[in-house]
Amino acid sequence: MVTEEEIQYVSKLMKIDVHDHKEYIDKVQTMINYFDILDSAGVESEEISMQEMPISHLREDKYIPFDDKLIEKLNNYKGTYVRAPKMS
Amino acid sequence: MNLKISALEFVQEVQNGNISAEDFVAKTLERIQSIDDKLHAFLSINEDAVNQAQEIDRKVKSGDKVGVCFGMPISIKDNMCIKNSKTTCGSKMLENFVAPYDATVIRKLKQQDAIFVGKVNLDEFAMGLTTEFSAFGPSKNPWETDHVPGGSSGGSAVSVSAFECVASLGSDTGGSVRNPASFCSVVGFKPTYGLISRYGLVSYANSIEQIGPLTRTVKDTAFMLNIISGLDSNDNTTVDNKDENYLSGIDSGIEGKKIGIIKEMLGDGVDPAVLSATKDAISKLENLGATCEEISLDMVKYSVAAYYTITATEAGSNLARYDNLRYGYDFSVEGYEFNSYITKARQNFGPEVKRRMIIGGFVPSTGHAGKYFLKALKIKSKLTREINDAFKKFDLLIAPTVPILPFKIGEKIDDPIALFLVDINTVTANLTGKPAISVPFAVSNGLPIGIQLLADSMQDKLLLRAAHALENTVKLPEVPI
Repeated sequence: MVTEEEIQYVSKLMKIDVHDHKEYIDKVQTMINYFDILDSAGVESEEISMQEMPISHLREDKYIPFDDKLIEKLNNYKGTYVRAPKMS
Repeated sequence: MNLKISALEFVQEVQNGNISAEDFVAKTLERIQSIDDKLHAFLSINEDAVNQAQEIDRKVKSGDKVGVCFGMPISIKDNMCIKNSKTTCGSKMLENFVAPYDATVIRKLKQQDAIFVGKVNLDEFAMGLTTEFSAFGPSKNPWETDHVPGGSSGGSAVSVSAFECVASLGSDTGGSVRNPASFCSVVGFKPTYGLISRYGLVSYANSIEQIGPLTRTVKDTAFMLNIISGLDSNDNTTVDNKDENYLSGIDSGIEGKKIGIIKEMLGDGVDPAVLSATKDAISKLENLGATCEEISLDMVKYSVAAYYTITATEAGSNLARYDNLRYGYDFSVEGYEFNSYITKARQNFGPEVKRRMIIGGFVPSTGHAGKYFLKALKIKSKLTREINDAFKKFDLLIAPTVPILPFKIGEKIDDPIALFLVDINTVTANLTGKPAISVPFAVSNGLPIGIQLLADSMQDKLLLRAAHALENTVKLPEVPI
């Protein structure tokens, strides 16, 4: 069982405000508790298959010019930098 | 003007000069104008569509080279980028986002003279299966407008079903093309993973999602696939299909093919009407010369939990970029501390997206990853092994696309587990990368039922051939709108 406190803690890490939303937390709790079914699958010894991609299959790492200057579309672009909120 | 023709019929009619692209597109826009208030398939309309159609007609008349779409009006799920058009993802977060480039599928369709009549509704960031989680309100099922059309590509399915376009593109992460196709009685196709480039598709769960067509006929899907499939240097997960022609040989039937009936997808909870339609489909396939036999995929019963664990984890990572600095812009940074600024920005996300982000933070976290995320990956591996073994014995697999009939808007929105289980028959194809298609097959008490066929990886051509054979065994009523 997942506790309400655990969900509130993760919400904070994900920067999502769910304080005082009991119904909201209940629903997340229900969803995560459903995942307990994974425990009965008996897959402990199963290997996780990973797809490998040789570097030769990746596209060349080269500069491709873009039509527009995307950075100028940012609202907080100040000519030489992007203004961000202050770090505490 | 008959707007109910298929994509291939449209192409032929324009090519032969029997109809003009301009007239057809203009009538399509009139149709949208007259009925979309009731259906809410569209989030935005391309006001330049008629002008673009005029240009196609000019090229046809002057004998210039014309792309194979001949001005075919298509709708696009609003999570794919069309340059200089809004791409909202059904979210307040991206309400004013204008895409700076074309997705690869859009570029390919433009090169073939397709016309995008508009962008269509979806559950926010494609997270849902009813369109009820769209920030701009739900779409309605044209068969019963107080019922859900399915999702997340609900707007795509509605627009094709209600003759508001000839075809559409959706995206399918756990059934998001096939589910609404089944609920709205259109064809919905999820290709082999990698067959269609995802470049320019706003990411939800990259490792399993694919773009797929929704059309009126299986042949139209093959036609669309011919245009949009293939290698793309901008998406290194794409596979080389050697320019396969998916239309060639599509009429050659399925005599001698072996079809496995997935036992776990016909168990408890399947609506009797859906069960009966599936049995009927199996019988019709046998009449066409296929042999059908039951097969068990043991991991299917864990597939939905594994699917939500994996997709939430990937979504949690993908959505981390939405911080109001790169997207959003609805308030200034002035006076905010970094964390509180981003937390405030994320209030723009709807409740389902927030829920999945929290789950996405929880299941792969230290102390929980072994119980949830790693186990989900192991189930994905084992399920893939099971289905690969099944395809050593069978050419195709069959199951109902969705175990239940379309339900009323609001009926399941507060019950996440009931919603989860609607996905039980579709997530397997995504977790294993296999191609799957929903074929409209029956209508029960005015509500559509789709049958799902699956094939082995890169057997998309065989899958379309079988789907076409199945589609030809039934004559369905027309949508009552």
